[in-house]
Amino acid sequence: MKQVKQTVKAKFLILVTLTSAACVTSTVQDARTSVTGINEGESVVIMAKSYHLGNETEAKYIRCIEDNLARGRRGLRVIPHAEFVDSLFPWFEPRTAPAETKNLAKLMARPGVADKIAEHGIRYIIWLDGDTERVAGGGSLSCAAGPGGGGCFGFAWWQKDADYDAAVWDLQGLESAGTVSTDVSGTSFMPALVIPLPFIARTQAKACKTLADQLHSFIVQDETI
Amino acid sequence: MCERSEYRVAQPINATGRVYLTGMNRTALLGLLMAGLLAGCGSNVKFQAPTIPAPLLEKIPISVGLRMPENFEHFVHEEKVYGREQWSIDLGRSNAALFEQLFAHMFAEVTVVGPEDDPQLLPLHALIEPSIEAFEFSTPDQSNTEAFAVWIRYRLRVYDQSGDLVSNWPVSAYGKSQTTAMGGTDALQRAAVLAMRDAAALVIMKFDEVTHISALAEKSAAASGSPVELPADETQDTEVQTTALEGPQDEAG
Repeated sequence: MKQVKQTVKAKFLILVTLTSAACVTSTVQDARTSVTGINEGESVVIMAKSYHLGNETEAKYIRCIEDNLARGRRGLRVIPHAEFVDSLFPWFEPRTAPAETKNLAKLMARPGVADKIAEHGIRYIIWLDGDTERVAGGGSLSCAAGPGGGGCFGFAWWQKDADYDAAVWDLQGLESAGTVSTDVSGTSFMPALVIPLPFIARTQAKACKTLADQLHSFIVQDETI
Repeated sequence: MCERSEYRVAQPINATGRVYLTGMNRTALLGLLMAGLLAGCGSNVKFQAPTIPAPLLEKIPISVGLRMPENFEHFVHEEKVYGREQWSIDLGRSNAALFEQLFAHMFAEVTVVGPEDDPQLLPLHALIEPSIEAFEFSTPDQSNTEAFAVWIRYRLRVYDQSGDLVSNWPVSAYGKSQTTAMGGTDALQRAAVLAMRDAAALVIMKFDEVTHISALAEKSAAASGSPVELPADETQDTEVQTTALEGPQDEAG
């Protein structure tokens, strides 16, 4: 009986060790260049930097940031990026989107652009740059099945890095308000002894949460430089 | 075991009418089955015509004719991705829909000119003839990414009222879309729509600068002796800021 208890305890410890081993480390930082703040009725829009410039920001990451910024009692008013891009066609297409804040004045002078932005109440455009990549991996895991059943044996691991930068443009002053960036690294494991046990590090989800939280603080807080 | 097989060769059909296969025949049949399966390993994608959002711009106050090639009504691109699968991409009338919508947004008046129509008998300042020169795509396997990419190269020819070619402009467009839970065909379609929007954006930005089409109204008015009044704010602001400029080259000479 004592032996059975010890076996269960050992298995539990292994499980806890492996679960904690699927760890994620993250850093987030911001650099403010002007005073921020947002009034009632004002909104933000999340955009991905152009893929013409080699950017690979995932559509689901943009949606995740949108959802996280809008969530909760203190959530911001977020205009869905697809709706924004369509309503300002063709000035925010990957080819035509302004690459620098110095181009904003000219853009706002185009017919209908300023009116459309005012209609949406957009105060900030947040440009995302970056992606999540698998940077390392190893191990070996094989599975087999036969008439008597099947199973897997082995051990595999992989590491993903999620690096994202967010440039915040203030449309009130037609200037950059600063940048927020996050760097998250997560290692996942999958040991298999008949049954594979995945311990997945949610790297991108963590990068989304940390960046969205920091962006919220960055925009809402009225800090001076 | 081998002898048994030989026996079945000698008597391929037994009393119940069943066909027996030798080891060799079985292998041949399996081979045929595999070949059939591999041959069936293809992707057929059928596109819905895209909708181009109403652009924020001022229309060019001229009357143009739009003459589209036959393949714009039903364009099919077929390609065998080397060592992988056969793709058949049916764009349907997406190209026709793109240019109909685009030019309707850009010009005061657009008349679709049929193959039998003589544009010189119509009250037009210019005739625009788009064509498609290339359609290419890459799959995630090929690019080693999670995205489909589509490149389309159109050519826009502009003729004046006399039927002379005044501009011949190649327009290269690019679209990219990541694979989703909806599957690869959805991402490919999205990439193609983005490429068409990219073409539309380039045409809106650069068309008048490259082809000088608005000047054709003045030219035809001068020829007929009745000058066309253009609004004071008609001047097209062609200086644009872009993230990736397509070098506009008019090949008309």
